[in-house]
Amino acid sequence: MSDDIERLLASIGSQLDLDAELEREVIDEIRGHLEDAAADAEVHGVTRQDALAEAAARFGVTDVGLQLHSVHEGQATADGVVAASLPVVCALVLRWLVFSPGGTAVNWRELLIRPAFWVVAGAALLVPMLRFTNRRYALVSWTFFWVLSVIFALGPALRW
Amino acid sequence: MTKIDQMRKGTTTMVILKLLSQVEEPLHGYEIIRQLDAASQGYFRFREGLIYPRLHQMEKDGFVESHWQGEPATRRRKVYRITERGLEQLSADVENWNDLSQTVNRLLGLEESTA
Repeated sequence: MSDDIERLLASIGSQLDLDAELEREVIDEIRGHLEDAAADAEVHGVTRQDALAEAAARFGVTDVGLQLHSVHEGQATADGVVAASLPVVCALVLRWLVFSPGGTAVNWRELLIRPAFWVVAGAALLVPMLRFTNRRYALVSWTFFWVLSVIFALGPALRW
Repeated sequence: MTKIDQMRKGTTTMVILKLLSQVEEPLHGYEIIRQLDAASQGYFRFREGLIYPRLHQMEKDGFVESHWQGEPATRRRKVYRITERGLEQLSADVENWNDLSQTVNRLLGLEESTA
């Protein structure tokens, strides 16, 4: 790849603030376009280096990354909301499973042998990290609720 | 942007949908540009980078659907195919365009009124 194309792709990438997978797909799509354009020019006798530079010049739009970002922006936000909600829901279910209705941690250790506890704990711990490419959105709430869960699980006399 | 560019911009979605409705195989962005350029004899030679925001918006609107062709280790291409919703949109756009162009032509005296 020529410097012109790498510069163009880096410039477009810097204008995107989407989830990592979507950003990679956008860049791959544009890279494929530039390679096809360069291959076409090479057929007409242009050198590889010149063909790539010409393809980058013909692509020609400096703010294409911003335009692509605005197309996908809402989608990223929606993904982020879902990603942030799941650990919160799981944490609330955990709280219901772990603590008694009175809000104390009495007898919480008995729940460690209940499969439902481990299923919910596993989901809260793993699903956001594996499923959501926007996990940076989920990380704060995920960490917050897990730290709270651990603190109160280790202190049975405390109230949530 | 020239006035012609502005007028072309308003019809880009329609002509892309028309092109995709005429081909059996899905097309990638560069091929769409090439075919529009050839079919319009250079009239639809717009800045290549503009095609992607437009295609992504069309996909978000449900007018086209896309998938990747090729293995991850090789050169992969994202190709687009028109959807049922896209066909409906194309039909509505063509009808609107026909009405608009006939009316403007009448106003400009370029076409006799059929009324």
